Amino acid sequence: MDKKVQLSGKFKLIMLVMIVLGVISVIAGFVTENGTRTWANLLLNNYYFLSIAMGALFWMAIQAVTQSGWSVAYLRIPQAMSNYLIVSFVLFALMFLGVHDLYHWTHADAVAQDPLLQHKAPYLNLPFFALRFVVFFGLWIFLTYRIKSLSLREDKVGGVAYFSKIEFASKVFIFVFAFSFSLFSIDWLMSLDPHWYSTIYVVKKFISAFFHGVAAIAAIAIILRKLGYLPMLTKEHIANFSRYIFALSIIWAYMWLSQYLLIWYANIPEETIYYVPREMGEYKTMFYTELLVNWAFPFLFLMWNRVAKNENLVLFAVLVLIVGQWVELYMSIMPSIELKHAISLIEVGTFIGFAGLFGLVTGYSLSKMPLIPKNHPYLLESTTEEHF
Amino acid sequence: MKTNILGIYEDEDVLLHAIDKLQADGIVVADVYSPFPIHGIWSRLKLTTRLPYATFVYGAVGAVAIFMMLYWMSVVSYPLKFGGKPLNTLSFIIIMFVGTIFIGTLLTFLTYLGREKMFPGKQVILPDPRSTEDKFVLVIAKPEDMNDQETKHLMKMLKETGATEIKESTVNDHE
Repeated sequence: MDKKVQLSGKFKLIMLVMIVLGVISVIAGFVTENGTRTWANLLLNNYYFLSIAMGALFWMAIQAVTQSGWSVAYLRIPQAMSNYLIVSFVLFALMFLGVHDLYHWTHADAVAQDPLLQHKAPYLNLPFFALRFVVFFGLWIFLTYRIKSLSLREDKVGGVAYFSKIEFASKVFIFVFAFSFSLFSIDWLMSLDPHWYSTIYVVKKFISAFFHGVAAIAAIAIILRKLGYLPMLTKEHIANFSRYIFALSIIWAYMWLSQYLLIWYANIPEETIYYVPREMGEYKTMFYTELLVNWAFPFLFLMWNRVAKNENLVLFAVLVLIVGQWVELYMSIMPSIELKHAISLIEVGTFIGFAGLFGLVTGYSLSKMPLIPKNHPYLLESTTEEHF
Repeated sequence: MKTNILGIYEDEDVLLHAIDKLQADGIVVADVYSPFPIHGIWSRLKLTTRLPYATFVYGAVGAVAIFMMLYWMSVVSYPLKFGGKPLNTLSFIIIMFVGTIFIGTLLTFLTYLGREKMFPGKQVILPDPRSTEDKFVLVIAKPEDMNDQETKHLMKMLKETGATEIKESTVNDHE
């Protein structure tokens, strides 16, 4: 039960090589492409891994609030991801060097000529933007650190006192998450088109984070099991993870349609302008790929009970969804930056670099704490095959 | 006439362990009656169902049927342009979505009733009526050639696994 994950030298080496590849790609991006494109690419990857970590942490909070038993053995995976938030904070802080390249509303002369931007200026201005960024990250890091340290102290002390403390902290986290992650998505993604707005946008981004965050937890759990850790990951647990993924794929599509259909139906030019480059221009294939990968595939694939209980097939579905989250963010960001659709090696390399960093931080954090919360009151429900 | 041996349990965990012990000794547990669904019974009794496949087919048929209905109504029978939208439009999706759920659920429900030969007002046949309240009833089909000694042994085993009450009950074949 006190078993910790051992990081092999090979794993560290691979992750470091991936990070180096990413750094090379970013430098190559700044040299060969225009700066805006590279900043957008960095924003995509930054937001991508932040949303995975935040979605996974939201899942962890949900488990505490619902007092779920089956998931106890996997709580350390999102807790390890919480360390990535600090890295993400630094990387997002570096993004401030490129805000003028990305965000139209940061230019004072553009705002001076634009009544709509003036109207939005009390919210969309750089000092307030930076303040929100710091406050949100501060809250997330503080709350997730608190949940993690309570859970680690529970390992040493035991009893139910920490259990209820974690539950309370998780409730606070859920409310903070709902409010702050929504505003964070508005700030960093929706304000790329400062004239356009959609009220369902942040809901879709939240569902997308939750959806792909759970997928990432499932992938890490299955990989750890293949490496000989987490022997309690039974078919039933894999089925539970696939139920999450399956249900969230439907909700994701629901949110996608809620946004698209209302804009399509109302047909107001200020709103439809968002979908014009996405659906009609060069991005057409990606537009349909997004739906196919994030909804049609997991929906039809995980529907079959036998697939939903097979760890290799679920792992395959998760790998497709990891591409899916990238496509979703690509479709949110890139058409707002430029009308030309081009995925080059630079995009792939940057993603590999960020994935290496995320993998290294998560793996290192996992190796620093016991893999299974050994004094959790519901641990037996999770580790005994019979009752869940 | 068939005879069943019933073991009545107070707790679902005891029942689950009892099933494991009985099956380890090669005794076939025919059925379990419980006040609520128990996790783990399904795999232990090796129950299977094809109902989800039927639901999938109903859902797919429902989606196509609703689409054909909408297509016929707004493109063939009464084509009416409004708001510059095409006749065969995206807004079908909502009704198709709801209709798929409705048709899928309703037909699954009816299939279930048909397969189980159930209908409103049917007199239920229960081995022990208390299984709808707070008792868990384990049913073992008694082979016709089982002698008294074997029966006693079986009952003793049930007692050892934690059954609070053990009895034989006869069931008519046609029921």
